[in-house]
Amino acid sequence: MLTIENLKAAAGEKEILKGLDLQVNAGEVHAIMGPNGSGKSSLAHILAGREGLDVTGGSVSFDGNDLLELEPEERAAAGVFLAFQYPVELPGVNNTHFLKEALNAQRRNRGEEELDSVAFMKLVREKMELVSMKPELLKRQVNAGFSGGEKKRNEILQLTLFEPRLAILDETDSGLDIDALRTVSEGVNAVRSEERAIILVTHYQRLLDYIEPDFVHVLADGRIIRSGDKTLALELEKKGYNWITDSEAA
Amino acid sequence: MNQSEGTLIRQLVSDHQPAETSRDENPWLSVLKKEAASWFCDMPLPNRKMEAWRYTPIEFINKTAFSLDAEEAPFEALAPSDIEELLLPGSETSDRIVFVNGRYAPGLSCLETGNGITLHTLAGDSKLPSGFKRQIGHADLSGRFFFTLNNALMSDGAVIHVNKQGSERRRLELLHITVGMPDPVIHNPRHLVVLESNASLELVERYTSLGKSSYFNNAVIDIHLSEESDLLHTRLQEESELAQHLSHLTVRLEARSNYQQVSLASGGAWSRTDAQIIFNGEHAHAELDGLILAGSKQLNDVHLEVLHEVPNCTSREHFKGLLSSNGKIVFDGRILVARDAQKTEAALNNENLMLSRSAEVDTKPQLEIFADDVKCSHGATVGELDPEMLFYLRSRGIPKAEAERMLCTAFANEVVSRISETPIRNHAKRMVLQRLANQGEMA
Repeated sequence: MLTIENLKAAAGEKEILKGLDLQVNAGEVHAIMGPNGSGKSSLAHILAGREGLDVTGGSVSFDGNDLLELEPEERAAAGVFLAFQYPVELPGVNNTHFLKEALNAQRRNRGEEELDSVAFMKLVREKMELVSMKPELLKRQVNAGFSGGEKKRNEILQLTLFEPRLAILDETDSGLDIDALRTVSEGVNAVRSEERAIILVTHYQRLLDYIEPDFVHVLADGRIIRSGDKTLALELEKKGYNWITDSEAA
Repeated sequence: MNQSEGTLIRQLVSDHQPAETSRDENPWLSVLKKEAASWFCDMPLPNRKMEAWRYTPIEFINKTAFSLDAEEAPFEALAPSDIEELLLPGSETSDRIVFVNGRYAPGLSCLETGNGITLHTLAGDSKLPSGFKRQIGHADLSGRFFFTLNNALMSDGAVIHVNKQGSERRRLELLHITVGMPDPVIHNPRHLVVLESNASLELVERYTSLGKSSYFNNAVIDIHLSEESDLLHTRLQEESELAQHLSHLTVRLEARSNYQQVSLASGGAWSRTDAQIIFNGEHAHAELDGLILAGSKQLNDVHLEVLHEVPNCTSREHFKGLLSSNGKIVFDGRILVARDAQKTEAALNNENLMLSRSAEVDTKPQLEIFADDVKCSHGATVGELDPEMLFYLRSRGIPKAEAERMLCTAFANEVVSRISETPIRNHAKRMVLQRLANQGEMA
């Protein structure tokens, strides 16, 4: 589904990714771990199409198409979803209006019929229950005045609503208490399927207790330096990143 | 005299005076106009060296040979069906006072008399109670060029008097329609709105046009709020894109009165509001929210003065500017707290969103405080659309243009959502959307 080859990227003068390779197939869950500043979040944002991060080399293909050629909105319609580490507040934009516009914009782009208000409300209520989100958050302005946990739930609500082919979760576990972490994980597990792939960007092993990955990768200094199964995460938790980064240097 | 001294407009004023006095039905009005005309002759034309006109050029006044409408007013040819398209949906049969090209149009107006509201007009009503005559004649003519011009040329206006009647707040629309004339015309409506003690009113003051034409609407509206009266004031300026619009608004608040204004200015090539809010009695409150739109070849200026002359009053002023293309906005807001006006609470804020690098904002919020026990604040911001917000929306599948529109609408809605009447609020929303759609060239 997703093939990243020798990807290099920079923000201004600063090199962020220095030749990254990653193969993600449908049905798989990949965890990308790594120390601060290793380029994890940048990778997530490059896949979603953020401006200001320049791809300087390599390629990213998604279902056989050049992902880097697509505008952010086209990537979303093609099935790429990024759950933000810091969901953006949109004062003055009603949450229901936003969710409906987004879902219908994606459907329009794919040539599918748009949902009318009744069908949309039925769908969104169903999904909100799944992520234990208070119904009144629909009437509020997007993320404005939401608590940290509410913002993350609103991201996972979108994940369950849009049902993307590839979901990239950028440190979705940060700032969540145990209860919120559990419901957020349930939301993610609910969309897990044979047609879908998930990339979890995280610092901590904790999230992986709830969402079990098929592969764990360690990203350091702009490259994936070690890949393994879920036991790699446990070992990292015990020994710290230095265990690998030092052995790489040696 | 050379052109820079306003020869054309001075000529119009002096030509107009003698003919008018000879057949004027209202001698008291003629006296006022004559007096204003004599002031006007000696007044210097506003120029960039005057602080109030520093950022607002008025070349049009030298370039345009304005005329007054012919005696046979154009509204006589207008049937109610001609103005249907201009009416706010759902308000077809509600109370409205219509002025066409500056003159009262009884055939297009509908007002249920009694129920606390009385209407007089300057041109038609020789029996105007002397109290109102005094209030109109009381104007300070020194130093205000266009205000004095209005006084020298004023031909008609509404005098709206509201008594407390029942508990229901009545809604009244004061609708100005300009019908295009082959040559540029100037209109000088002069309105007075008086709310007696405990009276309440919702006033919708609107300026619109039939057809695209060039004209100058130079309106004056004075509002007097007696003790414990309450006015909701919605102002919608939707003039022709070729028009000049200047409205002079004065609101005087007596004790415990309440004034709430929401204004939306979108039309006109050149548009300005000169507003003065004056606190005359204690424990009064005023709130003003305004949205100023300036697009291609538009200048939109708001000058606002809030005068806290007495203690214990509160005011809040929030004006937002939305600029695209080479539009220009001037905002000059000033809160003055007099020495005795202790316990004043006042906040003034101006926010501007620029969608284009060719647009221009000149903003100047000011506080002048002479009392020592007050809570006052003021501020201004100028910014562009937030790239983080845009990326968030686009990453959810919303196309760039649509995402920009959503964020602009959200910016505008903070003001528009304060309009309490649904049909008017929806109309205002449409005005904003139409503007954003027309603008196209957002970047």
